[in-house]
Amino acid sequence: MSDTILKPDELAPAAELVRKTLEQLDRILLGRKELHRLVLIGVLSRGHVLLEGLPGLGKTALVRTIGQIMKLDFKRIQFTPDLMPGDVLGSHILQETATGKRELVFQPGPVFTNILLADEINRASPKTQSAMLETMQENSVTLLGTTRPLPQPFFVLASQNPIELEGTYPLPEAQLDRFLFRVMFDNVDADVLTQIISERRRGELPAPTWQMEREQLEMLFATMGKIYLPNPVARYIARLVTATHPGGPEATEPVNKYVSYGASPRAAIAIAEAARGNALVSGRPSVGFEDVKIVAQAVLNHRLILNYQARFDRMTPSKLVGELLAQLDETGLNLPKDVAVAKAN
Amino acid sequence: MAHSLSHLATAMSISHHDALKHFAVRISRLLMLRRAVQWLTVWCFIWGAITLAVRMAGFHQTYWLGLGIFVALPAIIFAALQARREIPAFAKIRASYDQHNACGGVMMANEAANTDAWFAQLAPASVPDLRWQSARALWLLLVAAGFAATALLLPERLTHLAQRHLEINQIVEQLKAEVQTLTQEKIVDDKKSEDLQKQLAQVEKDSSAYDPNKTWEALDHIKQANSDSAKEAAEEAIKKTESLTQAETLAKAMEMAAENGMEPATAAQAAQDLAALLNAAKLEEGVLNGKIPPELLQNLSSLQGLNQEQMAQLMKALAANKGILSNTMSNLSNLKMIDAAALAKMQAAGEKSKSNCEGLALYLSQCKGGGKCDSDILFSWLKKRSRGGPGGGGPEAPMDWDNDTSEANLKFQEHALPPSSHMNDAQIVGVSKVAPELAKADVSAEHGSLENAAAGGGSAHAQMILPEHRHAVQKFFKRDGK
Repeated sequence: MSDTILKPDELAPAAELVRKTLEQLDRILLGRKELHRLVLIGVLSRGHVLLEGLPGLGKTALVRTIGQIMKLDFKRIQFTPDLMPGDVLGSHILQETATGKRELVFQPGPVFTNILLADEINRASPKTQSAMLETMQENSVTLLGTTRPLPQPFFVLASQNPIELEGTYPLPEAQLDRFLFRVMFDNVDADVLTQIISERRRGELPAPTWQMEREQLEMLFATMGKIYLPNPVARYIARLVTATHPGGPEATEPVNKYVSYGASPRAAIAIAEAARGNALVSGRPSVGFEDVKIVAQAVLNHRLILNYQARFDRMTPSKLVGELLAQLDETGLNLPKDVAVAKAN
Repeated sequence: MAHSLSHLATAMSISHHDALKHFAVRISRLLMLRRAVQWLTVWCFIWGAITLAVRMAGFHQTYWLGLGIFVALPAIIFAALQARREIPAFAKIRASYDQHNACGGVMMANEAANTDAWFAQLAPASVPDLRWQSARALWLLLVAAGFAATALLLPERLTHLAQRHLEINQIVEQLKAEVQTLTQEKIVDDKKSEDLQKQLAQVEKDSSAYDPNKTWEALDHIKQANSDSAKEAAEEAIKKTESLTQAETLAKAMEMAAENGMEPATAAQAAQDLAALLNAAKLEEGVLNGKIPPELLQNLSSLQGLNQEQMAQLMKALAANKGILSNTMSNLSNLKMIDAAALAKMQAAGEKSKSNCEGLALYLSQCKGGGKCDSDILFSWLKKRSRGGPGGGGPEAPMDWDNDTSEANLKFQEHALPPSSHMNDAQIVGVSKVAPELAKADVSAEHGSLENAAAGGGSAHAQMILPEHRHAVQKFFKRDGK
């Protein structure tokens, strides 16, 4: 087991790759360092990311830039109500061969790519949305009894508009659960906007000055697998996810009041993977409690199903997760109530 | 202090391993200290309660309760053992240290492999501070210690509230003195005296401030018993003293009468009366028994009487008996067992009346012919109490209803009557020295409805006119013209 802990010199190349990637992202897309870090963690964790924000905030640009930096194939689907599963997954078309024989030939859909941008995913019908389930979970497509694997790595970076609800089909919980993160795109401040106006004529993005090779990406994924998750941290993740269930032993009072269904075990796995990704991005060989705290919001805020009381009281999953993180003792020292470890300065 | 240790660790650049050990030790010590304070608090309360209970139960030798302070040591050891079970697992302590020092799981990863190579990239080690909100626990310990100390040092009079005796020592001592006096004076016998002493001792032992009425009632009962005995003895002493005084008076009168030539028959009669008087006194009976030499009484009863020397012996014996009774009464009075009136009565009974003595001597010397000396008269002389005028008067004369006092030549003393108050408003018109004239015949009183009215007629009340008044009434209403 001792060989599972990376040495500093073993981790250094991966850390350097991450640093360069973030540097490129921050240089191309201004003012979204935290978001870039989070999306990169999602990529390193091989998770799908749901980007939620208003139009024009740079969702597509972010996905496209990641694809360029990582030299990955990138495709985009604009989801509409009349979009059919075949439009996403691909379909069999009748073709005549050189011998004059006709046969059904599979024409791959846009899902056969490394990075798929599913724009306004909530505008497609449930039938089309459900076509994404297998691709997101199994990384494969099954048509007419034939299962075809998707190219690796495969990421879905979906976006949805949170304000235009007319003519939309809210994503089912099963599909939401398959997204590693739900990341909110906020507006940038005036300084960043000024810089964008000054440096980005007609919205054209600068080309990346450095690109990651496929081998380097594979090496990053391999390093991710060696990031060590200590038992206390794993225990903390488990307690955190358990605490999202109303009536749980460590459930807080707001959770008991507002939550109908808590996070699934898949959420715990997602937190652990994302925390590993954050540790790698931070250049550490092991996961700490702070890694969990950084990624927990993005992992859990679309996995909690709140009741109507929460809607009346304007309680959001983000607030609930924030309170949970603040109240739950990470280490589980279980010291007496009148004894506490002083917070570090 | 925690801060200083933390900074010291930083300043000395100790390794994360050492800092982690210090942190674990600090947690253990703090938890042990906390438990020790709790157990000491509990023990102090228990110790104080036991001390208070033992002292209130009436135990006087309570210095051994102070040894309870040595129980503190086992309490601390027990607290340490109990705290050991509360100390978190080392993995949790390491996790807490990792989090405090922002090690990012490197310290926790040390459980799987040596991560010392990463320590150079971590922040300098610092021992996390522990915060114990000890104010409440220490305050409780202070209160408990104060309670135990108070229970130990509380004055005995405050701890014996339930068993507290009444302050009746003075009363009991007085009653004991009374009983002792009554015993010495033979007023109560030894058995009763012993019973009273036992009762007093029991009352003194059982006296309690919790129920004082019972004690007071018992004391009152004993005091009443003493007082009754003393009063009974006082009455007896007064009677005997009266008899002795009478005997003394008679004996003295006999001596004087003998010098004046009392007839032998009268002397013999008087001697017999004296003997009868002494026998009737029953000096040898009762609680205060006196004693007259029996040969003297025998000689008195016989016809030969007493010679001068024997008479002197008798007088001495009578005086001695009186003296004994007087001393007894004085002793009872000193203890306030008899009141001043009884003592005065006793003193009056013991006083001899010189006039009585001389009168009686005169009477005895004048009794001639033997049979004229009446015993009743003699005793009446002895019982005479009034001092009277010169000579003290004679004995009480018998009542006689036959001889009326003559009213001849008697004249009432004249007194001028005071003027009538009704004369103040009157005016004197003149003074007539002639007899008043009768009214004229034509002037008659008009009586209206009473005219010709029969007695009782027309009135609501029928007045009966007795025959002896009838004439006067008829004369008053008689009208000349009719």
